[in-house]
Amino acid sequence: MRWLFSFVLATLLAAVHAVSYTGSRLLVVLEDAAEKEKYGVFLGDLESRGYHITTESPKSDKLSLFKHGERAYDHVLLLPSKAKGLGPALTANLLLEFMKKEGNILLALSSENGTPSSVNSLLLELDIHIPSDKGAVVVDHFNYDSTSAAEKHDVLLLPFPKALRPDVKNYFGGEGVIAVPRAVGQVLGNDSPLLAPVLRAPSTAYSYNPKDESDIVEDPFAVGAQLNLVSVLQAHNSARLAVLGSAEVLQNAWFAEKATLNGQAVKTANRDFSEKLTSWTFKETGVLKVGKLLHYQDEGVSKKLNTSGALPENNPQIYRIKSDVAFQVELSEYSKTHLVPFVPADSDVVQLEFSMLSPFHRLNLTPISKTANATIFGVSFKTPDQHGIFNFRVNYRRPFLTNIEEKRQVTVRHFAHDEWPRSWQISGAWVWIGGIWVTVFGWLAFVAVWLWSAPAEKTVKKTQ
Amino acid sequence: MAPKSRAPATTPSTTAPTTTTASTPAKSSKSGSSSAPQDILTGIWNNYVNKTPSRVKLLDTFMAFLVVVGALQFLYCIIVGNFPFNAFLSGFSATVGQFVLTASLRMQTNPENSKEFEGTSHERAFADFVLGSFLLHFFCVNFIN
Amino acid sequence: MAVAESESVFTPATSRNTRGMLRVIILALIAAAAVSSRLFSVIRFESIIHEFDPWFNFRATKYLVQNGFYSFWDWFDDRTWHPLGRVTGGTLYPGLMVTSGVIYHALRFLTLPVDIRNICVLLAPGFSGLTALATYLLTSEMVTSPSAGLLAAAFMGITPGYISRSVAGSYDNEAIAIFLLVFTFFLWIKAVKNGSMFWGALTALFYGYMVSAWGGYVFITNLLPLHAFVLICMGRYSARLYVSYTSWYALGTLASMQIPFVGFLPIRSSEHMSSLGVFGLIQLVAFVDYVRAQLPSKQFQTLLRAIVLFVFVVAFGGLVLLTVSGVIAPWTGRFYSLWDTGYAKIHIPIIASVSEHQPTAWPAFFFDLSMMIWLFPAGVYMCFKRLTDEQVFIVIYAVLASYFAGVMVRLMLTLTPIVCVASAMAFSQILDTYLDTKTPKVDSKETGSSDAAKVAAAAVLPDGLRSTRKPVVGIYSYASKLTVVGASAVYLLLFVLHCTWVTSNAYSSPSVVLASRLPDGSQHIIDDYREAYYWLRQNTPDNAKIMSWWDYGYQIGGMADRPTLVDNNTWNNTHIATVGKAMSSREEVSYPIMRQHEVDYVLVVFGGLLGYSGDDINKFLWMVRIAEGIWPEEVKERNFFTPRGEYRVDEEATPTMKNSLMYKMSYYNYNSLFPAGQAQDRVRGARLPAQGPELSTIEEAFTSENWIIRIYKVKDLDNFGRDHQSATSFEKGHKKKRTAKRKGPRVLRVD
Repeated sequence: MRWLFSFVLATLLAAVHAVSYTGSRLLVVLEDAAEKEKYGVFLGDLESRGYHITTESPKSDKLSLFKHGERAYDHVLLLPSKAKGLGPALTANLLLEFMKKEGNILLALSSENGTPSSVNSLLLELDIHIPSDKGAVVVDHFNYDSTSAAEKHDVLLLPFPKALRPDVKNYFGGEGVIAVPRAVGQVLGNDSPLLAPVLRAPSTAYSYNPKDESDIVEDPFAVGAQLNLVSVLQAHNSARLAVLGSAEVLQNAWFAEKATLNGQAVKTANRDFSEKLTSWTFKETGVLKVGKLLHYQDEGVSKKLNTSGALPENNPQIYRIKSDVAFQVELSEYSKTHLVPFVPADSDVVQLEFSMLSPFHRLNLTPISKTANATIFGVSFKTPDQHGIFNFRVNYRRPFLTNIEEKRQVTVRHFAHDEWPRSWQISGAWVWIGGIWVTVFGWLAFVAVWLWSAPAEKTVKKTQ
Repeated sequence: MAPKSRAPATTPSTTAPTTTTASTPAKSSKSGSSSAPQDILTGIWNNYVNKTPSRVKLLDTFMAFLVVVGALQFLYCIIVGNFPFNAFLSGFSATVGQFVLTASLRMQTNPENSKEFEGTSHERAFADFVLGSFLLHFFCVNFIN
Repeated sequence: MAVAESESVFTPATSRNTRGMLRVIILALIAAAAVSSRLFSVIRFESIIHEFDPWFNFRATKYLVQNGFYSFWDWFDDRTWHPLGRVTGGTLYPGLMVTSGVIYHALRFLTLPVDIRNICVLLAPGFSGLTALATYLLTSEMVTSPSAGLLAAAFMGITPGYISRSVAGSYDNEAIAIFLLVFTFFLWIKAVKNGSMFWGALTALFYGYMVSAWGGYVFITNLLPLHAFVLICMGRYSARLYVSYTSWYALGTLASMQIPFVGFLPIRSSEHMSSLGVFGLIQLVAFVDYVRAQLPSKQFQTLLRAIVLFVFVVAFGGLVLLTVSGVIAPWTGRFYSLWDTGYAKIHIPIIASVSEHQPTAWPAFFFDLSMMIWLFPAGVYMCFKRLTDEQVFIVIYAVLASYFAGVMVRLMLTLTPIVCVASAMAFSQILDTYLDTKTPKVDSKETGSSDAAKVAAAAVLPDGLRSTRKPVVGIYSYASKLTVVGASAVYLLLFVLHCTWVTSNAYSSPSVVLASRLPDGSQHIIDDYREAYYWLRQNTPDNAKIMSWWDYGYQIGGMADRPTLVDNNTWNNTHIATVGKAMSSREEVSYPIMRQHEVDYVLVVFGGLLGYSGDDINKFLWMVRIAEGIWPEEVKERNFFTPRGEYRVDEEATPTMKNSLMYKMSYYNYNSLFPAGQAQDRVRGARLPAQGPELSTIEEAFTSENWIIRIYKVKDLDNFGRDHQSATSFEKGHKKKRTAKRKGPRVLRVD
């Protein structure tokens, strides 16, 4: 029986390449069922990765993002529709609710179809700006595909994006060229740290509405690298929203198309890019998990911080000021199918804050050891000279990685009455200790002599 | 402030300090007032040595000893500093407290004061003294940790 | 008392024994009366800890009993003053808790397991019986009349001035402190009278116990030296005074320094300098006296006196210098405000805002002391007849206590013992004179010798009243005796009636539970406080932090068992000002403050529905003032008053008022209780605007039955990084408008 069971398990496992960390129910919102074949390869890829796809039209009655107060799907893919509105089940508030319940959304825009009003208000609320007029596309006269858009220049051929910053891991890199036909450019507001660009337009691109009759665009919506073709938002609860400027990137037609970039023949790598994009948005990559977190009083006897040695009683509620404390946390990264030890980017560190109202310590956590699927980060320090209620806080927020916010509250107490050095241990006090005992012994001697000596006179007459 | 080193007083029961009609005749003072202070001091000293009973002198030696110890401690504090302040306080207060207790005992057992302390026998006074000293020592040792 | 007639039963010995027994029985009855008159609230409501401060003492006692003495000594309380915590072991007076703990363990040892709550509730009445006994002892030392002591004990047992702070349930420091105060005074008088080191040591021990029990021990620390000083100045220095004072000072100061909260204060603070000064002075005086006995010369007398004066002036000057230079701390705020009554209002608004610290209104004297208020000066005057050393003490105590009672209403309590003693002395004098069945005979010899004197006196003095020479009724006739005795009995009865009435109506309310009368006369209990605290206890996580005004901190800690931000201890003014600022600012300002302090729930008291006037909107100006003391730029009291200078909550309220967190929390959803536009605030008597306030950063979690307590939950940060105002308006359906025209240069995003 066991071999049968494992055989079945093996086949199942073989069939699944990757699975999202948070669930596999995917809703595809597509107004026109006929268009489904255009995304056939894309959807087939998704299914082969283990997603259970449900396709609904926005006007359908059955469509509901929630069931019994919980989300009914784990991920939503919104493909462009011609209608002005998306119906009552997909209002901006409901989409925000869906994200509040940790659902992920991949939103594909189209310049031909225009954006529905609820999507518009949603994007505006999240500080992602798109051109207000329907039909605006991103145009680049230097990076266009001569094969398909020789005149309009609205099919861009771009390399895979590089890392955003040296200390941010890149989940969207790859070899090849991405074709982005007739994209709706996005501009990200400056206020929100939750937004990040994935695929930026090259510096020679700009947003342009073909209906605009004039020869020169005087006040374009945005230009150059300010324009994003793919931008993402990761909320505080790590729900992900990806805005894809052009839905055609996902279509079969562009998955393995031959294109010409500046005279060179290239093959589009859209399939690869869409796989990377969806695996990030649907939480197959860039997912961090916190394992065991422990802190303990480091008596100093055993300085070994790995897990093999027996640890003193850990996660106590109360420490004392000016005492040695060690802290460890296990971090894993989920990489498509399983957890692997998390390695931060090169110039990036995970930090520990020991704070009461504001951090008293902010220390870099160093990796101490690795287990099969986690890295153990640790640090040791001395509690400050201030008593109070402190928090061990790991607050690690990076673009493209889920947020880590771990807080453990501990009390740091003052010295107990018997933890001060005794008087004879303080050299300055010896004189006075001597003084006291000299007094005591002198007194004893005096008492002895007094009792032994004769009274000064006969004792006082007793009272009657 | 540190109390100055004094020997306690034995008091007659007169209450008015303004009028100075002393009980003993003022004859000897006439001769003393005109001579140098040196003679006054020797006069006091001779008076003291001759008149006081030996038990009281024992008390006085103990008190002098306490004064010396206390002064030494205070001197040390001024020179070196009072770092463990509680230690300084307890050491110094031990001598001061013991001094006043002994002074009280002296007052209570001095034959010149017998009128004042009729109800208290010497043994009772001594027992009180021992009790007070025990308390004093306990507090001092506890305070210095 | 009546001299024993020569009857066989009443021989001197047996009559003495009978009198002794009678005294014991009377004292026991007085103690029983004292205890039972304090039990009104236990009978009417239940055995519950009252008010605010006792809840902290109760919590501390529970901790002590559960964890043992050493844990209590080292206790670091992390459930108060979040996130600063409080080193409780070193910042409280442990006497009360330790006493209760000892009683608890003693009873358990006797296999009587009494719940700690009942011990705490009934501790104060128990000790009041002991206080009556101590008053008896004290008064007996003052006068020889045996009835004075019993009268004083009876007065002390039931007088409302003492009952106010020692009813059952008022588990506060004064419960044992007044007993210790009176008993320490008794021991002191005994020590001065006997000149014995034993009594002095005992005084020091009980003084140490008093130091561990109450911050008002400073009163003893200053009264005893003042007594000694006055005696010295009056020329009554004696060896007894020296023995008693020095043994008290040496042992007592050492004992007081053992309490961590007091620590080095006896050497460092101005309030203790008088006892040190008198200690030094008495050494000088003793030395001078000794030398004077050796050298009876007038000249040396004056010389030595000059030396004494010089040394005293130098010492005093040194003291002043040390105080000015800061080595010795000057009088701290609470005690300084007793001398300069206007000081606290300007500089320390927290002290000024406490209702117990207000000056005493004159009816309070009669309310608390009844007929003793006019017997008291008579008793003090009578002390001047003989003016022994002990009676000097009465005079000094009376003068000092009267001054302090006039300054601060809370200090009526320290006035009460001396009022009882003095009025007992006066009253017993009346009774002793008139209850005596014998009439004193005029001695014939006296008349002979005094005739000449009388004639001479008559020649010098003008004619006196004819009634004094030939009285119609006279002092010693039976008619006058009956009248006076009858009148005294009536006065005593009225006294008892008054005391009982005051106790029952004014001082027996637990103030946690409010009682009112329905139109049909039956009692209606308003239990909102406990309802809200128990909601918190049962519906919030164990570590949920509660922000409220400091008045309720101890109660929240005691009944709801949740960490609080500020409480009645008020040791950290800046923290309280932070809470005040959060309460009085707009939501955008107070939300970051609440997030920084990890506040989960906010609690506010609102009396508008019931007409309960002790609510937070009435205290609001104190919050503003305290916050303004720290942040004068951001919080301005002026902004809460209308241009005409009124403090309004209706439509005329200033925008600052309407936007403040406290206003919004109090009136949120309030108009849903009334028909449209008729929301009425019954305390301020104002009609509120039709549109109630709106909240975006906090949401309503609980409102009690009569809307007295309202609890709000602080929202977490918005998931998408928006500020809460925009988030709530988006949810309501106001979509963000796209800015059509871009003003100014483009702001580029840098990544």
